Amino acid sequence: MEGTLNMLGYGVATIGPGIAVGLIFAAYINGVARQPEAQGRLQTIAILGFALAEALAIIGIALAFAL
Amino acid sequence: MIAANLIAAAGGSFTPPGPADFNLPPVFGEVTKPMILLTLSAVFIFVLTYAMARRAAIVPGRLQFAGEVVYGGVRNTIARDNIGSEHYMRFVPYLFSLFLFVLVNNYFGLIPLLQFPSFSRSGMAYGLALLSWLLYNGVGMWKHGFLGYLKHTCIPAGVSGLMLVIIVPLEFFSNILVRPVTLALRLFANMFAGHLLLILFALGGEYLLFEANASVMNIFGGVMSFVMFFGITVLELLVMFLQAYVFTLLTAMYVGGAVADEH
Amino acid sequence: MHESVLAAGELNPLIPHLSELILSAVVFLILVAAVWKFVVPNFEKAYADRTAAIEGGLEAAESKQAEADAKLAELEQQLSDARHEAARIREEAREQGAAIIVEMREQAQAESTRIVDHGKAQIEAERQQAITSLRAEVGSLATGLAGRIVGESLEDEARQSRVVDRFLAELEAGQQSGAR
Repeated sequence: MEGTLNMLGYGVATIGPGIAVGLIFAAYINGVARQPEAQGRLQTIAILGFALAEALAIIGIALAFAL
Repeated sequence: MIAANLIAAAGGSFTPPGPADFNLPPVFGEVTKPMILLTLSAVFIFVLTYAMARRAAIVPGRLQFAGEVVYGGVRNTIARDNIGSEHYMRFVPYLFSLFLFVLVNNYFGLIPLLQFPSFSRSGMAYGLALLSWLLYNGVGMWKHGFLGYLKHTCIPAGVSGLMLVIIVPLEFFSNILVRPVTLALRLFANMFAGHLLLILFALGGEYLLFEANASVMNIFGGVMSFVMFFGITVLELLVMFLQAYVFTLLTAMYVGGAVADEH
Repeated sequence: MHESVLAAGELNPLIPHLSELILSAVVFLILVAAVWKFVVPNFEKAYADRTAAIEGGLEAAESKQAEADAKLAELEQQLSDARHEAARIREEAREQGAAIIVEMREQAQAESTRIVDHGKAQIEAERQQAITSLRAEVGSLATGLAGRIVGESLEDEARQSRVVDRFLAELEAGQQSGAR
């Protein structure tokens, strides 16, 4: 068995952004189900929020390789 | 990991694929396979879209219709909805090429013989993200002026007083510094991880079936590994499209945010 | 870029190779320029042409519709004109007919009156003539007869007529007294 502890840490670190992305899209789906006509506006916000949450995971992978 | 690779080359136990598998040897001179693929994709996209658009017929043929579906989608749902109907036409060529460029290069990862997603080389993704970063910041400065643009991006509406001290650096960090990095790394990491998974299941299945001891567990594991390979391939089809879409959409949203009037 | 970069790149895929970064930016910029110059204008042209064709078709249909409406209105106008004309002509004919009938009736009235008057006048004239001729005849007959009876020559004209007149006057007087 070979590997680095960094990768293990990164695996743990992705839990947070993973949950965040899930929550964002759950809220987005709820919103669209309630108000289908608002889909365009909600999609923009959802993708922005998704990008923001995923940024954490991406910073994580950068740090995992860098440190 | 390098050590592990060396051990694998000497024979014996299975070596998991790692980042080293993405450093392909140069084909000639300094030119490597992803570089060739990248250039090939640009030529391919241009020839294809030119053939689609050349006739510009009122009643489109099959080829033109396919082109118009993609073009209309990028133009209307990505560009117009996010940038606003005033300025969006200026950015349609950029966004349209961006979408196709990312999409085609991603799908190169699944096409036999080519079989390498160009953007699993981080430099490629950084290049695109750098252009997008220059684009949306340049557009914002052209619209609001240098200081006006900084104020526009760093100070959100409805925040005042002490909160500004916290918010302004955060917004600057998030909007100016992190955005291009995440844009590039999102694409890169998805392609890298997806390709790594495919390599892992292909090599692992091969090893278990043909090189390890022919026990029941190994054969079952090998077969399952190939099944997973196909499953991941289908997933990658979706992810590759999604990454191209998200990259283009985020670029459009950043541009839209930069050209937006005071909110 | 061999030894050092490769060694670093092997360990850390996040560190970009500068050549790849520049290559992707340049290739992509060339692609954008080509698409901007040759592809997008054609797609936009197709869109614009299509919009124009649809709008042109709508416009043509509208003008056709307007034309048809105008024609219909004109025909209806003509039809109602014709109806009016026909009614007018009928009215005129009826009036004319009535006038003709009245005129005819007057003419016929006049004619009948004339004929009746003429007849009366003729009858009167004939009566006068008959009276005159009868008087002469009766005179001569009576004198002839009387001459024969009395044997007296009554050739003398003056006398003769005097006698006859006297006779007749007596006759008339006798008739009148007899009738009374």
